[in-house]
Amino acid sequence: MSKNKSADFTTGNGEVLSTSGKLIRWICSIVLIIYSFITIFVLAITVMDSLKTQTDLVTNFVGLPKAVSFSSYAAVLGGGEFLRYFKNSVILTVCGTAGCIILSAMAAYGIARYKFKGKSFLTGYFMIGMMVPVQVSILPLFIILRNLGLLNKLLGLILVYISGISMSCLIFQKFFRTIPTALEESARLDGCHDLTVFFKIILPITKPVIFTMALITAIGEWNDFYMPMVLLGNKNVTTLTLAIYRYIGQFTRYMSESMAAVVITLIPIIAIYFAFSSQIVEGLTGGAVKG
Amino acid sequence: MKKNRNYLFFITPAFILYTIFVALPIVIVMFLGFTDWSGMGEIHLVGIKNFVTIFTDKRFAPEFFNALKNNLKYLLCVWLIITPFQYLVAYLLFIKIPAHKYIKFMVFLPYVISTTIVSFFATLIFNPNIGFLNNFLGKIGMASGAWFGDPKWAFKLLILLILWQGSGSGIMIFYSNFMDISSDVMEASRIDGCTEWQRFLHILLPLSLPSCASNITMSTIWALAIFDMPFILGGINGGINGTLDFANLVFYRYTFGSGLNGKSDLGFGAAIVLIMFIVMMAVTLLQNKLLSKFEYDN
Repeated sequence: MSKNKSADFTTGNGEVLSTSGKLIRWICSIVLIIYSFITIFVLAITVMDSLKTQTDLVTNFVGLPKAVSFSSYAAVLGGGEFLRYFKNSVILTVCGTAGCIILSAMAAYGIARYKFKGKSFLTGYFMIGMMVPVQVSILPLFIILRNLGLLNKLLGLILVYISGISMSCLIFQKFFRTIPTALEESARLDGCHDLTVFFKIILPITKPVIFTMALITAIGEWNDFYMPMVLLGNKNVTTLTLAIYRYIGQFTRYMSESMAAVVITLIPIIAIYFAFSSQIVEGLTGGAVKG
Repeated sequence: MKKNRNYLFFITPAFILYTIFVALPIVIVMFLGFTDWSGMGEIHLVGIKNFVTIFTDKRFAPEFFNALKNNLKYLLCVWLIITPFQYLVAYLLFIKIPAHKYIKFMVFLPYVISTTIVSFFATLIFNPNIGFLNNFLGKIGMASGAWFGDPKWAFKLLILLILWQGSGSGIMIFYSNFMDISSDVMEASRIDGCTEWQRFLHILLPLSLPSCASNITMSTIWALAIFDMPFILGGINGGINGTLDFANLVFYRYTFGSGLNGKSDLGFGAAIVLIMFIVMMAVTLLQNKLLSKFEYDN
């Protein structure tokens, strides 16, 4: 749909532009292209620097490596600590995202498909999380998790991540309202329980929306810095973002190692971006529902 | 629409977790603001003592209001620099300037990079000793700067970094708003011989305003809650002379770091959060009032 739309009224095409109009477009384009080189430049420098030895790096910060060396990667991965941080980040992101998406899809289905008292209250209630930044609730979260014995444990933060259903719940509600009910009715006449209907019939058609929402949620959790810092202070349950924060603090000492650490952290996220950038944008702009 | 109790199966799990980890904390923080709880032992209600301290304490009040001032300064930058920039780029993408696909891809890329790594990049560039900006300036014979260590530069550089990293999402939201404008309207304007400027002023701008409002509201809330980047780049004390100090950093310092009396004071921290929250709500309300004045009646 969105693809057709953009083809329908391609603003530039079909219109005869004046020479000055064309010129302005080209200038804007060139300025933005130069602007985009900042990103490429920074990423390229980091990758190149990660392939230098520490001595090479100090004297030759910007240029190409004199000889490609994987010593910094060996140093980062050798201790086994960094791999543990990587594992922690993966566990947090995967569990947090999966739980959040399933719970929010279920809640959204309940709200979109059933009539009950307090429904509009519940819709608003589930939206509060979107309007209140996490910094407001971090202190009580700290206390609650401490009382549950979940402070400095991955499970505690996973539960917090799972509870962050506001955004995805809203998107799922929008989507479920677009599905015709006939499909579920026939399944229900065959004697299926509502939960079976949901998992066997509704979830499969929701797959594209689930995918985009999962991407957005996962990126947010993978990149999260504040909550892991406050809720996972412990060294054993550090995440990648926290590890990099520590590297920044001792940058001059661990220069080449920190480059390698940043590259390792960036690889999954950049790979996902290259593969699914349009889905990420759709999920972010609410375009996932329009299909 | 069905009317039976089965909805409970769907809603209960989410409701319980959401209540414990999202809704309950908001209630607790409102209560804690009126206590002097240190995190252990008994909880004493102390009325508005914490709030009085915030506004009158000789050491704390200037610090907090400096931070709050920085928050508002940053908010102004969001309104006057970042949002217009996002809107402009979104418009340029919408009219399909040359290489728009590449630009769209690259402009949004920094959004998926975490603030920690963006701060790392900032260290690479702006580190006074080894960063390559000073390196470069030295080579062409110019004086090097202290950048994030320099009160004159720190705030401006922070805005630049946020512009680079954070504008992608807003650009995409504005862009998709433009794409949602009905093709009939666009077609009609073309047939009627609208110039590009007229079309922008009389069609695109008014039609995209309502959706802009929600976007601006969200970015306002996040602007007042900024934490990660100033914390990583300026340290826990908010940079040199508090140039990178924000309300959230003050809150973090006094709650989880060493506090006013050298001990962590959760009640006092909660009071800071409450003040922050009130400022947030006030700004959002004010802003919605302002934005609704410009809204197009249709």
